[in-house]
Amino acid sequence: MAAALLHRVLYATALLLAVSMAGFALLRLMPGDAGEVLLIHQMAGELPGPEALARFKREHGLDDPLPLQYLRWLGAVLGGDLGRSFQTGDPVAQEVGMRLVNSVLLGAAAMALACAVAFPAGIAAALWRGGPVDRAVSALAVLGMAVPNFWYALLAVLLFSLTLGWLPSSGYGTWAHVVLPALVVGTSLSGVIARFVRSTCAEELPRAYVRTGRAKGVGEVPLMLRHVLPNTMVPVLALLGLQAARVFDGIVVVETVFAWPGLGRLLVDAILSRDFPVIQGCLLVLGVVYAGLHLAVDVAAMLVDPRIRGAV
Amino acid sequence: MAAGGAGSALRLGLAALAVAVLLVGVLPLLAPHDPHRVAFAARLLAPGPEYPLGTDHLGRCVLSRLIHGFRVTPLAALAVVVTALGAGTAVGLAAGSIGGAFDRVVMRVVEGIQILPGLALALIIAGVFGLGLWTVVLALAAVHWTEYARLARTMTLAERAKPYVLGAEALGAPRHRVVLRHVLPNIAAPILVLGTVSLSWAILSFAGLSFLGLGAEPGSTEWGLMIAEARNHMRLHPRLVLAPGLTIVALVIAVNLLGDALQDRAAAGSAGTAHRFVTGKGRTS
Repeated sequence: MAAALLHRVLYATALLLAVSMAGFALLRLMPGDAGEVLLIHQMAGELPGPEALARFKREHGLDDPLPLQYLRWLGAVLGGDLGRSFQTGDPVAQEVGMRLVNSVLLGAAAMALACAVAFPAGIAAALWRGGPVDRAVSALAVLGMAVPNFWYALLAVLLFSLTLGWLPSSGYGTWAHVVLPALVVGTSLSGVIARFVRSTCAEELPRAYVRTGRAKGVGEVPLMLRHVLPNTMVPVLALLGLQAARVFDGIVVVETVFAWPGLGRLLVDAILSRDFPVIQGCLLVLGVVYAGLHLAVDVAAMLVDPRIRGAV
Repeated sequence: MAAGGAGSALRLGLAALAVAVLLVGVLPLLAPHDPHRVAFAARLLAPGPEYPLGTDHLGRCVLSRLIHGFRVTPLAALAVVVTALGAGTAVGLAAGSIGGAFDRVVMRVVEGIQILPGLALALIIAGVFGLGLWTVVLALAAVHWTEYARLARTMTLAERAKPYVLGAEALGAPRHRVVLRHVLPNIAAPILVLGTVSLSWAILSFAGLSFLGLGAEPGSTEWGLMIAEARNHMRLHPRLVLAPGLTIVALVIAVNLLGDALQDRAAAGSAGTAHRFVTGKGRTS
């Protein structure tokens, strides 16, 4: 297990290094001379003279070889310094951290909602194949893959906020604000997850241990929860890990519709205003979050299935 | 029977292509109005004989804009799929047939890209290189080729273990020749099926990016952009948001159904693919 775990940790570290190099390259790919652009933004849009520019570049080490610049930049990033936003002049690390908390909250609520719908529905669909729940799961999966999130979000606003007046149409602050965005992202994922739970459960049901359990009088619910579900956990966990990446893709769009102050909206705004330090900060944070999440999924798979522990 | 399966998949594909050509090539010629003509006197008109789906906030004919939209999102999405399919299949074939350290490095890169959220990654790539239709298309392809690389590699490894490839290799055929002339034709069907899946992904992604103002240019007849423009009038004129949205949903469901049907028919035909080499219907080295 230790060797397998070490392998995963090394891979996550390598991925983070690659993301950090991409993040570093991002500021160098910026149109125009990096030093000039940075100085202009520090001087509130005034064009610096050539002497001031040369001094600025010397002071900030922008004339050094790129590998040296990268290492110095990496050191600053690890110390929590992500530079300052071109737009607001605020430290990027602080802004990105605040937005990340909001996005994680929304993503976790959406994922929890998706699982709360998908697991019971998927199991019921596997038990009664061809029944109404099964057909509903199929329909939900087809719609979940065909309905654009942004359109779904607008329809939800139209129905629940503008017509019925039950929930706020946008904003942040109370629990009522979380409901609609989480509902939109969560339900759009639930069909795909439910269909996957259904097919993995349907593979388990004909097995001997299920028949044995039924024969010795284990009730259907404990049989499902204690025997069948644990056996489907490894593929289901892998799917949930993949869906977690789709959660953020959904969040990018949905946060904009609902004016939710999360990382997705920050990223879209930064791209529209070409705020490179903020784009860089978002990329780095996404890299850390998703490398960590991937590692967590792998570790969870090892914990639920002892057979994987030895495999590298 | 094998030939029947492959043949009907081909017929289905050709029929779908004919429908697509009609939608993209012919339908816009039948649009009742110029989709870009602004008429302030005719703002936000309800559907009627002159304007079958009414007009938008600038007095433009909604039906004409929807119809012309078939030339924007579907074509951009097709460009994404063709680029990703070509690049990804080439990389996957190479990884599967060369193997060794090259294979391991390539697959680690593929895995790394797939761990990250694809749409956000594409956004960042497009944002850095300057937004625009073609940057967005290339950025979406830059995250999406990994799907094809993974599939092509797995299929290549499976095919290379089969007797017809081992036979060709034993006869002394060079590796690139075996891969291009024997492996590639036999893994083409699942890759084309994946193509329909990623076509719907690309349609949704491109429309979503356009909705955010990061895809098609302002004024374009792109469906996501139409929805974004109609947002402020949604309460009194929900049809302005409903019509483009339903068009996207219908198109994506149609593409997905086509993919399912192709998959079923390709599976029915694949039983006979391996013996094409033996019976001489396939190419020999």
